[in-house]
Amino acid sequence: MTVRLEAVSFRYPTAGVDALRDVTLEFAPGGVHLVTGRLGAGCSTLLLAIAGLAPHVTGGTRLGSVITLGQDPATEEGRGAVAGRVGLLLPTPWTQLSGMAHTVAEEVAFGPANLGWERERIRGAVREALRLVDLEDLAGRDPGTLSGGELQRVIFAAVAAMDPDIYLLDEPAMELDPEAAGAMYRFLPALARRKTVILATTDLDRAVLVAGRVVLLDAGHVIDDGDPASVLGALRAVEAGATTTVARIAQRAGAQSPLPLTVPAAVARFAR
Amino acid sequence: MTLGYLPGSGLLHRSHPLTTATLAAVVSVLAFLLPGPAGPGMLVLALCVIAVAAGMRRVLLTSAAFSAPFWAFLILIHGVIGGDFATAAALAGRITAILTVFLLLLGSVHPGRLVDAMLQRGLPFGLAYLLAATLQAVPQLQQRAAAILAAQRCRGLRVGGSLWRRARAVVPLAVPLVLGALAEVDERALALETRGAGSETRRTALEPPLDRPGDRAARWLLLATVVGAAVWRLLT
Amino acid sequence: MPRLSSRLLALIPLAVGINLALGKVASATSLPVFLDTVGTVLVAALVGPAAALVTGVVSQTAFTMLDGKLMWMAFLPVQLGVALYAGLAGRYRMFASPARAVLSGLGLGVIAATLSWPISLILFGGVTATGVTLVTTALTAVGVPLEWAVYGASLGNDLLDKGVTFFLVYVVLEALPSRMAARFPAAERSRGRA
Repeated sequence: MTVRLEAVSFRYPTAGVDALRDVTLEFAPGGVHLVTGRLGAGCSTLLLAIAGLAPHVTGGTRLGSVITLGQDPATEEGRGAVAGRVGLLLPTPWTQLSGMAHTVAEEVAFGPANLGWERERIRGAVREALRLVDLEDLAGRDPGTLSGGELQRVIFAAVAAMDPDIYLLDEPAMELDPEAAGAMYRFLPALARRKTVILATTDLDRAVLVAGRVVLLDAGHVIDDGDPASVLGALRAVEAGATTTVARIAQRAGAQSPLPLTVPAAVARFAR
Repeated sequence: MTLGYLPGSGLLHRSHPLTTATLAAVVSVLAFLLPGPAGPGMLVLALCVIAVAAGMRRVLLTSAAFSAPFWAFLILIHGVIGGDFATAAALAGRITAILTVFLLLLGSVHPGRLVDAMLQRGLPFGLAYLLAATLQAVPQLQQRAAAILAAQRCRGLRVGGSLWRRARAVVPLAVPLVLGALAEVDERALALETRGAGSETRRTALEPPLDRPGDRAARWLLLATVVGAAVWRLLT
Repeated sequence: MPRLSSRLLALIPLAVGINLALGKVASATSLPVFLDTVGTVLVAALVGPAAALVTGVVSQTAFTMLDGKLMWMAFLPVQLGVALYAGLAGRYRMFASPARAVLSGLGLGVIAATLSWPISLILFGGVTATGVTLVTTALTAVGVPLEWAVYGASLGNDLLDKGVTFFLVYVVLEALPSRMAARFPAAERSRGRA
């Protein structure tokens, strides 16, 4: 197992309620795992807990055990072992900039340089990463001159340059226009063949096309876990505010579960 | 009139940043050591020669423009009112010398290379990062401040009037800037941590500048000059 | 030097940016203040005096580099004094009410003026920032000896500047949602709620 959580509860400092409650989950290597739920259900927190950033950077208290790549990422020792092997992508591009890069290439090199790699290895990693996101011709540009979509792709490259085993993506397309968002999602299945991708998003219309497994959260609890059709097609998902537009409409129109998730599925189901 | 880095490939650009920094430090110390107004005057002259030789004449214009108010005030206070023009010239010359050498430093050392040079020398990553990130953050926050000013003005904020009124106007201008910045700290910290900024490993310098024998010789020469001047001052 | 956490690496450049950006705000309102220590005081109240000292050093260095005037580094002791004082003020919950904030700000004004006085006088002959120097010039013109003129001018300036600065930090701490304040170790104590 790449990630294993057992009876994990987490509360942010001075919060009145737990952000995660008694969560027990496993993530097998490879594939796109989708974590979803309405706003505040705990999806982002789950990602941060997997990375050990909650509680290390956010503060707060965690109960239960989190084992990521064989280590507890919240401990000093675990952090060292996991460094560079868990990559995190956050929703807003510009706050993820290192703040000390003058070119796109420098920005992408920031992570590997911090990990102490030799210069040749860094150069190779930067080239590869920029090729991955199709931004090689922007290598010399000043990151401050890029659009939101381009910037998010640069940050993605910056994360990929460290060659992590796990990609944690928190609403990666939130600030992107529809075309850029679609491109970002289409990219994931190929990535997931070699790496583990854990995606937290409420953009289910797109996510359902790439996800191989869905974890549904509600108020910090895991209320369902399985393949997209059965999890997102259940009435429970509609009630938890986490399903596709098509499924919502179908449910409103009186369809029974499992609800169709996409237009082609709906057509197949209703067109006689 | 320009501040900051001026692209080029002259003498100073090709030197190691530490050499140029040493020059700046040495000139600053000499400006205080050497008796004025002749001492600072010679320094300024020497710097003019260096600036022209390094292809950075523009710096001299900027320096003149920035020094002008100091000259005016010093001549007024110490010269006209105090009757001692020599002191005024000495103080003003000192300021001009330091200003000029510093503009030369800023103009020839790309901030990114400065950080690399610091890392190469083994300076703690934290300090180097803070300096680099700050230099990038400042213009961003200044832009935001200007935007908030414009937005609040649109909403009818008056910035004139009595001292009390004006002091109160500062609040809706400053507070949104600060709160907005604080709200970002979380995400920034998470992103930095994920990219290894908090790790104990020694960071690789991406493009460390070359430290040539000429550079080392120049630095020793500069230091010797300071020591010599100090000794001379003590003896006379 | 202890390893800086990612939170501080994220916070300090922003705080220094605030120090240097509020100068624009100040000149827009034509107030004779610089507001160039708001960020440092903020860090002192949110994290503590040590982090504020680092902020002060980075701030003065960045200011020197961006302004191109090496002499500003001479005023580093003043920034450090501000950082320490503000850190203590936070510890003693001086940001719990507007009155306490402004009063401690005025106290800092006196200290700051006293700290910058010898630097101004000895190194610069009394000539520093234009606005303050105008007052100094006026005072010398009416016969006030230079030393007192410099002190008087900067005292007036510093009292107003630090008073407003502390008030601003009070307002910011007040407005901070407790969820955010909780992420900063010293915040709750500074605003008197811990």
